[in-house]
Amino acid sequence: MKILIADDSRVMRQIVTRTLRQAGFGDHDLVEAADGQQAFDNAVAEKPDLVISDWNMPEMTGIEVLRKLRAAGNDVKFGFVTSECTPEMQQAAEAAGSAFFIVKPFTAERFDEVFSPILG
Amino acid sequence: MSEPVVTEGDLAEMAEQVWVSYLDPEGISPLVPHGDVKQVSEVHSTVSITGSWHGHLVFASSQNAARKAAAAFLAMEPDEVAQEDISDVLGELANIVGGNVKAMLPAGCFLSLPTVVLAPDTASYYPAAERISGLYGIWDGEPVSISMWQSVKAEAGA
Repeated sequence: MKILIADDSRVMRQIVTRTLRQAGFGDHDLVEAADGQQAFDNAVAEKPDLVISDWNMPEMTGIEVLRKLRAAGNDVKFGFVTSECTPEMQQAAEAAGSAFFIVKPFTAERFDEVFSPILG
Repeated sequence: MSEPVVTEGDLAEMAEQVWVSYLDPEGISPLVPHGDVKQVSEVHSTVSITGSWHGHLVFASSQNAARKAAAAFLAMEPDEVAQEDISDVLGELANIVGGNVKAMLPAGCFLSLPTVVLAPDTASYYPAAERISGLYGIWDGEPVSISMWQSVKAEAGA
């Protein structure tokens, strides 16, 4: 499967990649995006099977990317890895069609729990 | 004076999560609080919170601590870490704690993107804001602090 990792922090993208590997999902094809616009563009151009996105990013927030994708008829499985963890944000994410919500800081166990049903 | 919305104990809990997850996963080098608010820093990062609550979350440390943090985040040796990575990690540390702090504030708050300043925390001035709580400690021999600043004006108007 192809996974798009969107986060404006290069270090955090690396940590997400490393944690995916630690959780046993190291064999997937990974692509990256460094801001919201790139996340949207790559979600369209690269046709990933899964998008793992930060919430707060320059250009477009993660939720704006998700809404824009859905508005364009793109149904890619999309979820958040973010330090933002208020109930209203989780509800907004769910309402927009988000498949998961992982709060930073996270562990490999949390990744395993969330991604096992998705990535198998 | 009533207890601040986010106490030193709350900050300590959040810091512990960050240390366990990224900076000290083996539990051998935790952040040890000492409460010295005059502790000197060399670099810092800030996220601002606006909306139903106004203020700032500041992460400050020595340059060495920031380098060690970046090394831990990247699973590299401290001397292999680039300055760009140090700034990135400093911003991310403020963002992670800021996001968790936001969950303790009234609904309807917004978190800014982080600002990183490669100078002591005293180099940044937050107009009309005062420190309401702070966690000051030593990590692996290096100074680290996390402090919360609330806009006095917003509080008075609340």
